[in-house]
Amino acid sequence: MQDVFIGFTSITWQMCVMYAVGAALIWLAIKKEYEPMLLLPIGFGAILVNLPLSVVWEHEGTAGFLKILYDGGIANELFPILIFIAVGAMIDFGPLFKSPYMIFFGAAAQFGIFATMIIATLLGFDLKTAASIGIIGAADGPTAIYVANKFAKDFIGPISVAAYSYMSMVPLIQPPVIKALTTKEERRIHMVYHEANVPKWLKICFPIVVTMIAGFVAPISVPLIGSLMFGNLIRESGVLERLSKTAQNELAYLVTLLLGITIGSSMRADKFLNVQTLLILVMGLVAFVFDTVGGVLFAKFINLFLPKDKKINPMIGACGISAFPMSARVIQKMANDEEKGNIILMQAISANVSGQIGSIIAGGMILAFVPLIAR
Amino acid sequence: MDSIIETLKYSGTTAQAIGVSIFGLIGVFATLGLFFVLILAANKVGGKKRGD
Repeated sequence: MQDVFIGFTSITWQMCVMYAVGAALIWLAIKKEYEPMLLLPIGFGAILVNLPLSVVWEHEGTAGFLKILYDGGIANELFPILIFIAVGAMIDFGPLFKSPYMIFFGAAAQFGIFATMIIATLLGFDLKTAASIGIIGAADGPTAIYVANKFAKDFIGPISVAAYSYMSMVPLIQPPVIKALTTKEERRIHMVYHEANVPKWLKICFPIVVTMIAGFVAPISVPLIGSLMFGNLIRESGVLERLSKTAQNELAYLVTLLLGITIGSSMRADKFLNVQTLLILVMGLVAFVFDTVGGVLFAKFINLFLPKDKKINPMIGACGISAFPMSARVIQKMANDEEKGNIILMQAISANVSGQIGSIIAGGMILAFVPLIAR
Repeated sequence: MDSIIETLKYSGTTAQAIGVSIFGLIGVFATLGLFFVLILAANKVGGKKRGD
């Protein structure tokens, strides 16, 4: 008789907490529309995997469907790679070619990754876990999953949840930080944008050359940058329109769906409910804040050397994070709120697409350096 | 470079993180700097072609 009610008798308080966590993520997705395509499947996956006996994960020695998906998509890094192909097909690097100096904001705004990694070691995390926590600041879910899968498999759940949650909260996180670091006058700076056609050959060569250079500088970053640039090459080639559209739509939606529910399945109560998870969630926020600080302060630093009529609106620096295109939109809205008609969207997008490349390169640097140093 | 890495191997975790951060940030700036130079050069070539 006991076996009949095993579903009820095996419920623990930890499972109940995870149902609440799952429900909270689903609520955020539906009610607040925070990254619903990811938070909803993650939330449901968290509930599924914490049901009694965890049949969806593994039961009586047989892998459940979520474990099969995990092994086939996360453990071997396939899903993040496929997502990058889709993202690459969505990105237009055109604005960056017109304002190439914006690429440096994509580097400066990676500051949060490294600052958070240092803080995480002060909190007692080992170097590999600290690096995985810092990479939340890449503001780039696939890179965070990729690095966490290499260095801190046990924390892949909280790291992914933090990465995607804070990405969706960029409109709440960035404005107060930017306002604290800039004056009204700085936020009202206008920037001239020169319209010019970017030659097609440049758009085609760019993804190939970037992949090759990244391969020489940080070979370990090639799966990430290579898949991103492959997607972009499909887009820019002009002869693969159907493939480009498929990558941007069907591939992106399908992999996102599977990625979300599979990440949710990594949130098993025994691994998720601990102090480290709380610390990781807090550290993720710290990473986003420091990213923004790094970008804005870098812009202000550059302004010290520029003539009065060529100064950069320092808010642009905050777009160097990889949350594309949300960060650019947030900054444009802030510029318009400060002064009606101040259009800095194209510069913001330039910095934002640079952040996409910068975050992957930063991930590559971490993947390259940490194993050399960690004991 | 090798000696710095050897020293970092036997340093505390925070010192290691600082080392990775310095090398990492330099690496990111250098790589993106290279892309910047390439885009500038490509724009110059593109501009010349349009001029012709």
